Amino acid sequence: MNGSRLYRILRRLADIRPDECRAAAALFAHFFLVTFAFYIIKAVKENYQIGVNERWWGYFDLGTAVLIGFVVALNARLLRRLSRRRYLALTGLFFAASVLFFALIFHLIDPSTRTFFFTPLFVFVRYHPIAFVFLFSFWADIFIAMSVTQFWISANDVLNPHQAKRLVGFLVTGGLLGGIAGSLLTTGLSAAIGPARLLLFCPAALLFILAMVRVEQDERDKIRGEAEAGPGGRESKTGYLESLKIVRRDRYLRILAGVLASAMIVGQFINYQFKFIVKAQGWSDGARTSFLATFFLAILVISTVLHLATTGQILRRFGIRLALLVAPTVLLAGSLLVFALPAATLLVWTCVIRGSDKTFDNTISQSVRELLYIPLPADIKFQAKIFIDMFVNKFALGIGAVIYWVLYRVSSFAYKTTEVRVRELGVFAVGFSLVWIALILIIYSEYLGAVKRDLLRKWQDAQGVVKQHVDMDATRLIFDTIQSREKSSTLYAMNLFELVQREKLTPELMEVLDLKEGELKARSMDALLDVGGGAYFQGVGETLSDKDFEAEVREIMALDEFKLVMGKRLAEITAKREAPEVERMEAARLIGDMEPSADISAALGRLLRDPSPDVVHYALGSAAVHLRKAHLPLIIRHLGNPTTRESAQAALEAYGPRIEDILKRHLQDRGERPEVRQGLPEVLARLASQKAADILTAQLALGEDDLEPELVDALYKIRSSRPKIVFRTDRIKSAILVLLRKNYERLLAAGPAGMEGSDVRAAASLGVKRIFDLLTLVHPAEDIVKAYQNILQGSKKSGDYSLELLDNILDRDLKAWLLPLIEDLPAEERLRRLGKLARRLGAASPGEKS
Amino acid sequence: MEIRTRDYNSIVIFDIDGEIRRSDMTDETLHQLVKSQLERGRRDILLNFENVEFVDSFGVGEILASYISTNNLGGKLKLVRISKKLYLIFQVTGLVRVLEIYDDEDAALKSFGRP
Repeated sequence: MNGSRLYRILRRLADIRPDECRAAAALFAHFFLVTFAFYIIKAVKENYQIGVNERWWGYFDLGTAVLIGFVVALNARLLRRLSRRRYLALTGLFFAASVLFFALIFHLIDPSTRTFFFTPLFVFVRYHPIAFVFLFSFWADIFIAMSVTQFWISANDVLNPHQAKRLVGFLVTGGLLGGIAGSLLTTGLSAAIGPARLLLFCPAALLFILAMVRVEQDERDKIRGEAEAGPGGRESKTGYLESLKIVRRDRYLRILAGVLASAMIVGQFINYQFKFIVKAQGWSDGARTSFLATFFLAILVISTVLHLATTGQILRRFGIRLALLVAPTVLLAGSLLVFALPAATLLVWTCVIRGSDKTFDNTISQSVRELLYIPLPADIKFQAKIFIDMFVNKFALGIGAVIYWVLYRVSSFAYKTTEVRVRELGVFAVGFSLVWIALILIIYSEYLGAVKRDLLRKWQDAQGVVKQHVDMDATRLIFDTIQSREKSSTLYAMNLFELVQREKLTPELMEVLDLKEGELKARSMDALLDVGGGAYFQGVGETLSDKDFEAEVREIMALDEFKLVMGKRLAEITAKREAPEVERMEAARLIGDMEPSADISAALGRLLRDPSPDVVHYALGSAAVHLRKAHLPLIIRHLGNPTTRESAQAALEAYGPRIEDILKRHLQDRGERPEVRQGLPEVLARLASQKAADILTAQLALGEDDLEPELVDALYKIRSSRPKIVFRTDRIKSAILVLLRKNYERLLAAGPAGMEGSDVRAAASLGVKRIFDLLTLVHPAEDIVKAYQNILQGSKKSGDYSLELLDNILDRDLKAWLLPLIEDLPAEERLRRLGKLARRLGAASPGEKS
Repeated sequence: MEIRTRDYNSIVIFDIDGEIRRSDMTDETLHQLVKSQLERGRRDILLNFENVEFVDSFGVGEILASYISTNNLGGKLKLVRISKKLYLIFQVTGLVRVLEIYDDEDAALKSFGRP
């Protein structure tokens, strides 16, 4: 089947991409075949176990728990020595051959089997059936653990976290269908051919699995790409002890092991309860195998229906935590019920509770359990998964078996009724359910941490970088100083003096300015006393010491004579329109150093109306010192001019939070020039108060296109500089929805062909950036920034981790709206989804737009 | 001041002629020109300062605003052929710790890592 045809079929069943089809189909078939064989073997195994005395049940589990260590060690050695492909082939052949052996053994155990040959094997088997039931139980447990583990290792090899999350439901469906097929076969044939002959179907399934593994391994590199192969593509060569160390070292893995172990023990006690109740029915081998197969079939059918209807939905809508909690909560409630139910209803009760346990195991628990491994680094994941699935699970089984054995001995189980035995086992099921719930709550917080561990910032916030390395006020002053040197010695001296005051006149800067020792003081003093053209106190500069320099200047400026002279001079300059620009600049600059008065304020007002942007720049600097309310309208007006905007913003910032209401009025005033309104959000961002954030948020909620970029930028700056500011979630969310709707409309209007056009993509990309900026206001900002950067510029793997992170931290609605916009989707599929969402958001369709 | 735009691969080069001063501003400021390129999806920007004698405090603000806008979208803004005098001032003010500055246009273009 060619790729596009396969894609057309599979995309109806799963959220799949064209390049994933072959691998996904092979994994689906692989899991189908595993569970097909698994459910035949499982029914046969349980039938033989129930058939023996119940005192052996604990030993079966304990034996498996103890011996599994050796199998894990052998398995690790095989993995070290063999390539992944060869290892899978050899283990597949081993299981195929050994299942044939057990088919022969159980055929000989069957009392109806007649043999004309008196062979030692026949005699041994007939007289020691318990040994073979024990051996088969152990073998079946190994097969089940290894085949399922190998399947998920293959899936983890081939798929990255986000792919896995999309496809896990599809793969689990394959497993469920395989189990249904195996159970149907067992139900239909067990009475007719007996349990032993049923095993003969398994070798064929195991050989088909080998073919699927080959396809998966071929697809692995293709689907993950060369760059992604990294550690995930490497085959780990670490051994069993190393696996144990890995799990011991990592807190996340220890908790994960605890979650799986407690789930295992709960299931085990529920299983013991089930066996007691089924044994009490007194059925024959064939009838019991048939009942067990029918029971498993019913579980699988229910599992499949539930899985198709709910697993994906639960994961998408409620996330991993709730999905993890469903099983232990229901089992806890079910286990408590046993203390209230009458004996006659126990068969129904046990079928329901074991059915629930297995149904959860097949559906939501399995899907979520596998997702918990995904954030781990590939090499650790591989080792840990084998260790936990094959050792920790069996270790838990061992603990359960020991508890059962102690209970059997201490509590004189053999002499109690089935009802009492079931209730005593129920106490342990309840206790371990509570442990399971507690561990889930812990691991969820660790899961997000593990996902984030792999996400690094691609670049630092540029505003922060500039702030960290550059003193912007001093830099502007230095450039003004250098520029003023060409224009006016007075202006130059005043700027130099300000540099001294701010302690920014470093030796390096003096070298750049070509200043000699002592020249600075002379220039400053001369200039200060030279206003109006003639020197006022010639040579004073040279007589001053460094220490007294600043104080002396201040004293001179406070002199009544000085104020009088300066006042006259300022009045002259500002009154006559034809005064040279440089004099107006000097006047505008000098006002900032003078004591406030009505005359000074009036002069500053006139200079703030000056046509020269250089004069206005100095006047705005002085206005930032005097902070007169009367100057505010003049300052705000300069926000509309790009050449004076920055100086006006700095001046308004100097007024502080007391002008927030004035800024708000101008921002809300639709009659105000758009350029002026666009300059206001930056001022509020610099004030960075709760009130400023509220004003910006309220304005954003009005949805004015002209102001949107500036408002979003300003809010983002407040979030970056003041993390404790609280933003109104409802308003931010509705603003995000407005941005989403605009993006949908843009892409839908462009259509599949135009969507890839550079203009459309650029606009969409800016739109997405603003959405992420807003998301930082109502979610952990660092997580959102990392997710955005990695989606934009990260590898495929880090992009998928980002989507996974967003999937877990965004609320249900937001992620449903946002993800189709940023996920890697074919153009047509993206448009289909956006079209649906746009209709729900009430966005205009392309037809309406045209 | 006059700014001409040219392309090299997907890098936008601004050839700036004159001084970036408040009083010499043309219809569009440098930052506005950079923003319009960003809106068109361009992310790599090189400012050619070969014919720039001086910038004032307004000019520095424009350069840094352009740098911030570009970087926050995952892009890069770099400078080339800046005069020795200007470079010294950039050093003193710490701007060289933020802005990538190259002597040679080829080296600057290569540094964007475009094929």
